[in-house]
Amino acid sequence: MVYYLTDLLVLGCINSIMVVGLNLQYGYTGLLNFAYYTYVAIGAYVAAVTTMGRTAMAGGGTYILGWTLPWYVGLLIGGVVAAILGAVVFGFTVRRLRSDYLAIVTVSAAFIFWNIINTYEPLFNGATGLYHVPNIISTSTTRYGFIMLALSAGILAIFVWGSRRIFRSPFGRLLRSMREDEAVTAAFGRTSWQPQLWIFMIGCFIAGIAGGLFVFYITAWSPYAFLPLESFILLAALIVGGAGNYWGALLGAFVLIEGLAELSRFLPSFGNGADVGAIRAIVIGFVLILMLRYRRGGLIPERWLHWYGPPAKPVLPRARFAAARRAR
Amino acid sequence: MSQFLVAVGFGLATASVVALAAVAVSLQVSVTNFINFAYGDFMTFGAYIAWSATRHGINLVPAIILGGIATGLLGVLANILVFRPFMRQGVRPVTLLIAGVGLSFIVQNALTVIWGAEPVRFNVTLGNSLHVGPFLLTPGDLVMFGTSVTLLVLLHVMLAYTKFGKALRATSNNSDLAKACGIDSERVVSITWFLAGLLTAVAGVGLVLQESTLDPTTGFTELFVIFGAVILGGIGRPYGAMLGALAIGLLTEISGAYLNAAYKTSIAFGVVIVLLLFRPQGLFATKGKIS
Repeated sequence: MVYYLTDLLVLGCINSIMVVGLNLQYGYTGLLNFAYYTYVAIGAYVAAVTTMGRTAMAGGGTYILGWTLPWYVGLLIGGVVAAILGAVVFGFTVRRLRSDYLAIVTVSAAFIFWNIINTYEPLFNGATGLYHVPNIISTSTTRYGFIMLALSAGILAIFVWGSRRIFRSPFGRLLRSMREDEAVTAAFGRTSWQPQLWIFMIGCFIAGIAGGLFVFYITAWSPYAFLPLESFILLAALIVGGAGNYWGALLGAFVLIEGLAELSRFLPSFGNGADVGAIRAIVIGFVLILMLRYRRGGLIPERWLHWYGPPAKPVLPRARFAAARRAR
Repeated sequence: MSQFLVAVGFGLATASVVALAAVAVSLQVSVTNFINFAYGDFMTFGAYIAWSATRHGINLVPAIILGGIATGLLGVLANILVFRPFMRQGVRPVTLLIAGVGLSFIVQNALTVIWGAEPVRFNVTLGNSLHVGPFLLTPGDLVMFGTSVTLLVLLHVMLAYTKFGKALRATSNNSDLAKACGIDSERVVSITWFLAGLLTAVAGVGLVLQESTLDPTTGFTELFVIFGAVILGGIGRPYGAMLGALAIGLLTEISGAYLNAAYKTSIAFGVVIVLLLFRPQGLFATKGKIS
């Protein structure tokens, strides 16, 4: 029971870290990154190959680097590599493309990336993936759970605190204004894309750190751990919890990802084993659409700092047209 | 050289499938002005319906028609229950996109629950490969090619010469103006969803016959190849999408003949990315629908 609870909490914290990072990109800045989980995977792979050495995997296997750095260095390198990759992708795509094109490009890029890792074995051992990644401290399984819980909760707290600072800072305000209306922001003399680049990199860094923690906890990683579906689940968690609000991000991660996964354990089992996961995904789909329809801000909507006053209801041209038609 | 020509033949076969789906997507985008992420799963849905029908002893052709009608109805239903309420609210395109992702979750996993995640096969034989000129094709490929061309010609006739085609083109060009002219644009949109679903399902069956297995993620993976064709032709331009499909089909198969075949779809995705970055209006179009 204790083991079960710690396991639940560790995974909850790691998922929360991911959603907090995604919140910086989508919630604060409106950058729709459907390939977010790819950065998690990068963090996981890099953290693994920089710390596990050459001899960890019994069956051999081929992968790059194979260093034996301390775990915290590997974790940081994973985050930094993810952030650098994010910057490259941002440079090529985000600056040029509108939201729906951006979504297609990010998913296509994620597919290519997945395909290369899955097929080209010298990189990260192909489809077999990496396993026997050493624990950060060798100790009993239960105690390792506690240590990882403390570590991931601590890192989560740091990132939540950081995203709170960003939200309240002029930087965060600038990001929000660019999200709401880039033209108006430009009219105030803020035409630069650099704030968006920074926040994108920070988001990818957080994803990489989360991936590193994940691989140190579950000790294995393979292409089947980062199917494109995972990014969508994180996005759904963020939207249901409340995009733009870090409490919403935490709530979404715990309720939609962990809560549903645990609840589905208590479903009576029928059909084949795949059904539980499938039913969970169906529920996520329904919840996502219903939330978008009836409570677009999420369970805990974005907070408006009091000196702005309450938000004026945005009136888009098309909405105005629809309203006029309804009134008629 | 013969290897190249054989690859061209495969490319034509692939293109005939991709063209149907790409034209369907393009038709829908031209009328509704947003991209539906659940299209791949519509494709899988149609293929599963047809597969299930053949298992109950129905011949392949009526089974495909059944799958097409079912998928068309699914499209109409998706429009009425999911997308139309959002359009009426006047939301941003991002919201529609995410709603499409939600719909994709639902359809894909409902298929998993109903028919299981294990790959299935159609119990039909395509016959042995024939040498048709320099190409190496199965009779199934030829039938698919013929079906595809026939459907596309029918679609062209409908778009160009019927009253409904005119209404569709008007709605696509300027929905408000079309409404002002007394065109029932909601009806046009509904019929477009139905047509798109129909074409998608036929493409789905063709895809499965070519790849020989069907599982709930088949369509979702193929979706981005289709997007490639759509974007290549200029988003929202059905005729461009046909050419785009031809280009994508030839490109993937010919590169697959010379590179590691596992990278085949990656080539298509790479084309999508490069094109979107440097020529988002499409290769052939002068001006895209969405730009």
